[in-house]
Formats: sequence, structure tokens, C-alpha cells
Amino acid sequence: MTSADVQKRTPLTALAERARGFHLGTFWDRWGITAVLAILVIAAIVIQPGVDRGAFLNILNITSILKEASYLGIVACAMTFAVINGTFDLSVGGQLALTSIVSLLAFGIGGSGLAIAAAIFTGIACGLVNSLLVTAMRVPPFVATLGMLFVFRGIGTLLTADGPAKLPYADFGSVFGQIGKISFGGIPLVFVIMVAFFLVGFVILRRTGLGRQVIAFGSSPAAAKFSGISAVKIRFFVFVFLGLSVGIAALTYVTRIGTADGAAQDGFELRVITAAVLGGASLQGGKGSLVGTFSAVMLVTVLNDLFRDLQVDSAWQRIILGCVLVVALAIDGLRTKFPGFSVFRRVTALRDQRVARAG
Amino acid sequence: MTTVVSAKPRSAASRLREVLASAPLTIPLLMVVVGLAIAVPAFRTGGNIENILYAASILVIPGLAMTLCITMGEFDLSIGSTLTLTGAVACTLIRDGYPSALALLAALLVGAIVGIGNGLIITKLGVTPFIATLATLVIVRGIAQAYTGGQNVQVADPFLKFFAGGRVLGVPFPIVLAIVVIAIFLWVTYRTRFGRWVAAVGSNRDAARLSGLPVDRIRITVYVLIGLAGAVWGIIISSQLQRGSAILGVGFELQAITIVVIGGTSLLGGRASIIGTVLGALLIVTIQNGLNLLNVPPAFQDISVGLLLVGALAIQAIRRRVPVEALDDKR
Repeated sequence: MTSADVQKRTPLTALAERARGFHLGTFWDRWGITAVLAILVIAAIVIQPGVDRGAFLNILNITSILKEASYLGIVACAMTFAVINGTFDLSVGGQLALTSIVSLLAFGIGGSGLAIAAAIFTGIACGLVNSLLVTAMRVPPFVATLGMLFVFRGIGTLLTADGPAKLPYADFGSVFGQIGKISFGGIPLVFVIMVAFFLVGFVILRRTGLGRQVIAFGSSPAAAKFSGISAVKIRFFVFVFLGLSVGIAALTYVTRIGTADGAAQDGFELRVITAAVLGGASLQGGKGSLVGTFSAVMLVTVLNDLFRDLQVDSAWQRIILGCVLVVALAIDGLRTKFPGFSVFRRVTALRDQRVARAG
Repeated sequence: MTTVVSAKPRSAASRLREVLASAPLTIPLLMVVVGLAIAVPAFRTGGNIENILYAASILVIPGLAMTLCITMGEFDLSIGSTLTLTGAVACTLIRDGYPSALALLAALLVGAIVGIGNGLIITKLGVTPFIATLATLVIVRGIAQAYTGGQNVQVADPFLKFFAGGRVLGVPFPIVLAIVVIAIFLWVTYRTRFGRWVAAVGSNRDAARLSGLPVDRIRITVYVLIGLAGAVWGIIISSQLQRGSAILGVGFELQAITIVVIGGTSLLGGRASIIGTVLGALLIVTIQNGLNLLNVPPAFQDISVGLLLVGALAIQAIRRRVPVEALDDKR
């Protein structure tokens, strides 16, 4: 409960700002990340990096970008719920590795049906563990999920002690193996799954009471509590939803890669949180947009693709990704710290002062 | 301390209870030690006990710096990467023929710079410490990877070797260093103005700022201390292995945080327990040692550290009946 909560913009002032015409802050909030994505894509088309590999607009390249975006996007969608709710989950990387391993092992035992069921159930089980830790045991979410990150990865490493779990090459034709392979005219199935997940997420967040409770709890936990929203139920939902999203994401990830071990997708949690924060979600809670997250996921994936084409070293990729996150957070942090700061307003204030003194 | 004279002489039992309340880990630690001593004969040897003290000493130095940070109600996840980068810097400079002392100073300087960077991002840009240091964790590891070019930097330097293998009066150097550092931290935390300032910032930052404390400067100083502790950690580890590498120290931040948290320093800030951190380091190292002696696969060590962290917090929180909405890192 800091003063920032009190100073949050009310709808009335937002209306007034819209009435004043173009406002850079409002524009950035709504379309900033989409604009950056558009500029980046146009730049990529114009520059056409990696000519020997084919142009950026190559249909194969686009399909691979869309596939790469899908598992990141599905989890980022659920993570946006968490960030809007004022929390986050550091264990998604461990969950993804563990879920992928379990579904591959299940495929070896019982075929496609069992593998798909195993992925979904493992994901939900991981989410349940996190949510019970947070709601029943009252462990702070950030530390609970940090601890569970290592536990999930450790279990994954134990399960793959005799080498990584693999999808046999002969089984790429099975229903399970085809999830990551099918595409309809260049649009892969996994991307369709991701878009569907975002649509469901959007409906839940903006059109149901549950979504409103998530937002209300995030913007002011105390006020939400007094209006009868159960903190326990909301947090329980957020973490189980994250687990479910990881289950679905693992299906789209592992059927394409075909192998997984305990160290798979190291640093995944950072990419997911980066996407949510770049998309406009505030770690202070109560603010965020699924459209923004979607654009940010595409932005991060296109950036990764460009890095690969330009043959940027993996070390530099990490550094740049980290810096992007810090900048995104700093924009959010500075706005919370100095609400309503703008050069324009400061200049008009100075002018008003002068006028007042002269008058 | 001695100005208040209690009315009646206290019994030995009540005094014992007081000691146990201030260091709640004493009983679990004794149970683990006694259990292992009975079950595993190899545990009882003098060499093994020295091993445990040695490993705990290496772990306790960053743990103490982390204690100050958590007392302030904040976290530094980047310490695992600081260790990697500073170790790599020290080894590379020594390999390139610079004097060893200069290389170690450079490593300390790099640690301090990482700390200043963290502090500035957190205080001046208003970024949540947990996520800010998660980002610098990745950035610093990336820098270490780019700096070493992904190669191991092998060195054979007697001066560097002393930090892990040397003995002072027959006692391994890290143990001596840890005792000195523990003494310094006990003094700083409980007997100096700075220690009280850190606790004040941790219990209520707005109140601390309103009463005129230089809050931002205190926070930056604590992050610099953590950077320096990370550098010391990096120097000792690369001295032990005689190697610097970008893949060292992955996940070490979890150990540093866990020993503080199981030691009883509250995550809500304001209360430091230096002795608790020391006992926490001993407990974790003893458990890992026991698992090693019992031939348990190394993956179980990560799992056990994670479970210890979560379990200790659950016990703390259930005892205090914290509401769910008070658990967020939102300050």
C-alpha cells in the first residue's frame, strides 16, 4: 500500500486526456509495443539478414517463427494474469521441462492419448503444488516458485538420469508427434492453439466476473478483500491456470523438439516475464493487456530469429534480452515512482507559473 | 544490556529457552548431526568434519551479505552470476600475466560495480528488486560468457591457491576468513548505526525516509556489499578449482538465500539473525555432506535445498498467520 495506489489514474482523467487529443503516454500504453513490432518487422524485410538462408519473408521462416512463438505465448498469456494479479511465477521453466519429460515418458508407455493427458495433468499438478504453497502454507509466491523451480528441474533430472527423454523418430507420424508438425498453408497448428488460448484468456479476463476479480485484487488487495473477493481463491486460480498453460505449452514445445531433459529451456521464466512486462503489465499489479502480451511475444520471437540470422553470439543474446527487460521495467518503475511526469506538462506548468507571476 | 536487572535470578531452563528462541535451527542441526553420526560411520571422521566446516565457511560469507539484504526486505538473485564473472575476471587476468594481487582487486572491483548497477536500477529506476536482480543475473552471466568466450580459463597460481588451500596456524584459510567476517557482521548489524539503519529501512521504508535516513544510499551500499561478497565467493571457488568458467555457480543464489531464510531472518524485513544464517549454512552443508556420503544422486541436493527453503518459510508463515495478500513483493 504505497502512495502509488492512491495516485493511479481514474477513468475520468483518462477520458479528459483522450479529449485533449494525442497523448504520447496513452498511445504508448495502448499501441507502443505493437508499433515497435511493426517497425522491427518492416526493418527485417528491408534489410533481409542472412541472405544465404533465404529472406525474412520466406514462408518456412515465418512458420518457424510462429512455432517458436507458440509455447512462449501460451505461458506468457497465463503469466499476464499472474502479473495483473500482483504476483509472478518463477518456476515455469522447471514446470515446462518436467511436463515435457513426463509426456515423452508417457508416450513410450501408452501412446498419444496418454502423452497428451500426462502433459495436461502434470502441468496442472505443478500449478496445484505452487498454489497450495501460496494459499495453504502462506509462502510468499516469489520465493515459493523460486524454490519449486529447482525442485521441478531436480525431479526432471532424476527422471532423465539415463539420458534425455526422446520421441523415437519412427513415432513422428503419430497424433502426438503431429501436433508440432502440422500446418495449414504456412500457419502451424501450434500457433492456432496459442491464438485460441489467448482468445479464451481474453474472454476470461475481460468478460467474466473471475477476470474482474483478478484485476481488482491486483490493483488493490485491501479494497478487493473488503468487497468480498477471496484472496485464497483468486491466487489458487492464478497458479493452477499457469500450470494448465504450461501443460498445453509443453505439448506444442516437445512435439516439435522431440527431446527434453531437466535442464531444458533454461531461463524460460525470464523470457515469459519479459513478454508480459513488455506487453504493458505492471509488476505493481492491476494493469496489463493480453493484446500487448501477444505483440510482445511476437516481438521477442522475431528478435530471436533476427539474432540467429545475424549470427549474434548466444552470450550477447542473453545480455540484450536482460537489458530489454530492465528498460521495460524501468519505464514501468519510473511511471509508478513519478506518476503523471511528462516534459510537456512540466513546460506548461513553468509557463503558468511565469504568467501568474507577471499577472 | 546490564542496566536492566531482573527481579529474580532466572533458572537455567529459561535461559536455555531464550537461547533456543534466538537460534531456532539449533535443534534441527543437532538432530541431523546426531542422526548422521549414528547412521554413517564415515561422517564421524575428523577429516569429514573439517570438510563440513570448510564448505560452510565458503557459503556463509555471501549468506551474511544476503542477510543484510533480506533484513532490508529485498533480495539479490544476481549473486550467483557475480561469482561467475568475478572468478572469470580473476583467472583471466592471472593467466594473462598480471600480478595476482591486482587480479583479485580487479575481481572485487567488478563485484562492487555489479552491486552499484543493481542498486542504481532498483533505487533510481524504481524496479522491484526481485525482478531487477533476475534480469542482472542473466545479463552478468551473459557478460561472463562473452568475456571468457565460453572457454575454461585454467590457471596454476600459488597466491590464488592460498585462498582455498592455504592454512593459517593449521586451520584452512576459508574458515579463518569466515570467522573474521562473522565477527565483522555481528558488529555491523547489531552495534553500528548502519546496522540499525538497514533494519529501519526493512521494517518501514517510508517511515525511514521521512525520519531523514538516506534510504537510497543505504540500499545501494547493501547491494555493493553483496557484490563484494559475491566476488569473495568467486575468488574462493576459482581458487579451489584453479579455473574460471561461465558455467560455474548456476543456482548458487538459491543456496545463499536459503541459508538466510531457514536461519530465521524474516522475509518481511526488519529483523536480522546473523547466528541463524551461520547455523543455516552449517545445516545445509551437513545435509549435502550426508547425502553425498549416502551416495544419493546430485539432483536430490537441488531438490532438498528447494524443499528446505519452501518448508522453512511455510513454518514461519503458518506460525505468524500472514494473510495471502500480504505476501507480495510490492514495495
